[in-house]
Amino acid sequence: MLDVKDLESGYGPMQVLWKPSLTVKKGNITSLLGPNGVGKSTLLETVFGSVPPWGGQVLYNGVDVTRVPTHKKVDMGLALVPEGKHLFPSMTVYENLAMGAYPKKAMPHREKNMQLVYALFPRLKERSEQAAGSLSGGEQQMVTISRALMTQPQLIMLDEPSQGLAPLLVREVFETIVKMKTDIGLTVLLIEQNADASLNSADYVYIMHEGTIKAEGTPEEIKGSSEIREAYLGI
Amino acid sequence: MKKDTGKYLPLIPVFAVYLVLFLMGKNMSGMWQLMAMLLFYCALGQAFNIFLGMTGYVDFGYVAFMGVGTYGMALSIVHLAHYEVLGAWVIVIGFIMAILFSTILSLAVGAVALRLRGAYFAIATIGVNEGFRFLIEGARIWNGSEGLIFMGELNQILGREAASVLATFWADVMVLVIAALAAAVTLVYMRSKIGYALTALREDEDAAKVMGINVTKFKIVAFVTSASFAGLVGASTWALKTPYVFPPEVFEIHYTIEAIIIVLLGGAGTLLGPVAGGLIYGLSKYYLSIFLPGFQLLIFAPIIICIIVLFPEGVVGMLKKRLRDTALGRYIV
Repeated sequence: MLDVKDLESGYGPMQVLWKPSLTVKKGNITSLLGPNGVGKSTLLETVFGSVPPWGGQVLYNGVDVTRVPTHKKVDMGLALVPEGKHLFPSMTVYENLAMGAYPKKAMPHREKNMQLVYALFPRLKERSEQAAGSLSGGEQQMVTISRALMTQPQLIMLDEPSQGLAPLLVREVFETIVKMKTDIGLTVLLIEQNADASLNSADYVYIMHEGTIKAEGTPEEIKGSSEIREAYLGI
Repeated sequence: MKKDTGKYLPLIPVFAVYLVLFLMGKNMSGMWQLMAMLLFYCALGQAFNIFLGMTGYVDFGYVAFMGVGTYGMALSIVHLAHYEVLGAWVIVIGFIMAILFSTILSLAVGAVALRLRGAYFAIATIGVNEGFRFLIEGARIWNGSEGLIFMGELNQILGREAASVLATFWADVMVLVIAALAAAVTLVYMRSKIGYALTALREDEDAAKVMGINVTKFKIVAFVTSASFAGLVGASTWALKTPYVFPPEVFEIHYTIEAIIIVLLGGAGTLLGPVAGGLIYGLSKYYLSIFLPGFQLLIFAPIIICIIVLFPEGVVGMLKKRLRDTALGRYIV
């Protein structure tokens, strides 16, 4: 569904991505693991278009979308849940979700998606009239994920959804991600530092180091290889 | 979602205030000057609010758009006065030129500066205003620092009598019309996809981006709209009221500051806010300078501080919150 080939990008004179390549298969949860500062977020943002690519290729359903502007990618069914809680703080939860239905193709499905999201996170329904900024960290993360679901995506990219959450909530977030795959049929590209939880829910794993992909395999293969674990994951 | 009926009700209080100002000025002797000043501040706020209020970006070079608008009108009068067939249409052409000049400048500035965010944008725009002024003076464009004086041309077009009525009455009425138009456009934007996009980008630009909103496009739309209204205000309140233009006067950063204060006092991003802000600002400025001449700034600063501390979202911002879900709430946006 998504093919990244030899992608290069960076900030100013500093190159961050040194030609990583990866493939996200339809209906799978693909996980990108690696420590801080190896370019995981940059990879997602370059794929999405918020960081301009220097070279390489991004194919989405076989179409070259490397230089397609971000808002058009959203129309094509790509969604990104950015790192940190980027929500609209003074809008209510309901309004935040409604904003998610901004793309033309998502508008007609707004009520349906809203029900879907409320089924996934019943707590958001209870809080629908509260200002999003007043929610707890975990609930805010739910709002950002839900808002991305409202754009009617086919592929959702999550940038460290468990960051800064209590262990109990981390489990809940991962359960939801699995549900997005099994219940809604979404394809997921997941960035994580939480290697343990990530390995347990992913179908395929890439390990990133210094701007490139250093290893890949099924979660079993990664877990089975002590070299990989020690060299890159520290577990 | 709200129903379509009553979508444009919030314009009623705005237009009502403008009407009251107009009637008071027209019917009470000696009040016209004050009312004209209040209308000017309301128009300035209403125009600036479309950009500052709706996007949350602060443009310190805003007065430059009023400046080029003034030049648009002035140049039309100077160059077209001797075509007698045009008659009073010269004024209409002047307004079109004002829109054209301010649109072109705002597109040029926006294409570059709107790529910057927050403080960087603000700093870049200060440069634009000062730079443009020195360009006109230094390169002697449009008669450079000597400015344009076109009292004679205006008399030639309209006749001495009409030109004087234009300066003392019709120019102010035009400011009123511009203010009302700016308010209407604000509400149309608020009620459309443009408004949703702008609210989203004001709250969190990165989040708006991942929602599939073309943030650059909507920032430019707001910027250009706001700038063309500024051009119109400049054209009528400066070029027509006082038939001369000097670069230091029309590129005076002081007016930008006033516009920012008006929008923030009243409530950024609200429809009625610039009206409230314009009234508070204009009235305090006027009466303080009468009762406490020389001390007005000393008194005025604490007043502004108090309002900002008491109503961080502006007077109308506070009202809007209080009146939410009440019968009156439908009129206050």
